[in-house]
Amino acid sequence: MAFKAFSSEWASAFKDEVNKSSVYEQAGKGWKWTVGLVVEAEPDKHFPDAKGIVMDLYDGKARDVTVGSAADAQKCDFVITAPYTRWKEVATKQLDATKGMLQGKLKLKGDLPTIVRYTKASQEMTECTTRVPVEWPDES
Amino acid sequence: MHHARARRMARRKLKSAEDERQLVEYADQEPSAFSSMLGGLIEANVKNREEKQGDFENLVARVGIFVTDIDEAVTLDFKGGKLVVHNGLKPRRTITIRADADTVMSLSNLKIGPLGLPVYVDEVGRGVAMKLLRGSLKIDGLLPNLLTLNTVTRIFSVQ
Repeated sequence: MAFKAFSSEWASAFKDEVNKSSVYEQAGKGWKWTVGLVVEAEPDKHFPDAKGIVMDLYDGKARDVTVGSAADAQKCDFVITAPYTRWKEVATKQLDATKGMLQGKLKLKGDLPTIVRYTKASQEMTECTTRVPVEWPDES
Repeated sequence: MHHARARRMARRKLKSAEDERQLVEYADQEPSAFSSMLGGLIEANVKNREEKQGDFENLVARVGIFVTDIDEAVTLDFKGGKLVVHNGLKPRRTITIRADADTVMSLSNLKIGPLGLPVYVDEVGRGVAMKLLRGSLKIDGLLPNLLTLNTVTRIFSVQ
């Protein structure tokens, strides 16, 4: 069953996928900060309003993943911002998130040494995204 | 008692001067994302980790980093207590590191062991050493500048 992109149901499935991952559990040990993903609007892709995904991650587990406004996500300790199409590329494995950040395709705000220390955790987090089946608004 | 308080205040002043001093400058009007990321990473490391400050103060070298799979490059011009970050590879580099994005991230995750030497026996270190042996990590100017590379690694490492 595919979930509507960046919907509450998608967030819940994503959280379950993170919590199933033993790789993330190991790599995310010691992580204690919130992460916000800002998905910028692209009306021409049928994604008319920006959304914010707030991830409450703690010590290798996802305690909560919720979908709200971009402003909610911007309050997190770490914020990654990109337009809808970029996030779709990440979730469909067309864009590696680390490379995307180095190229400025994904904009990161937060303490850089901390995020670099958890590179493996963030890579596995991206892998978890790719395992959630998604119904994309510009494809339906 | 009075002297101890004065010393504490002097230390506080020094610390705050260190916080305010601009450690990293960008040579280009619009630094690339990669330049900003490396400059920001080194600045945060030096400001927050006392053990890195000595290396940063003493290092004079031009280090190029070319990320092979995204075609992005920077030149880190360490000028003894100051770093100037340039977009792209600039001439007269002391060493040049050529590797894919994952390896560059691994380099910044190398642990620093006794005597200030990078640790190549744990998982991350072995990965980096294997890439060096297999040629997917290339370091131009490595042999005559081994000490410089170790210093750069210490400044660069987030571990």
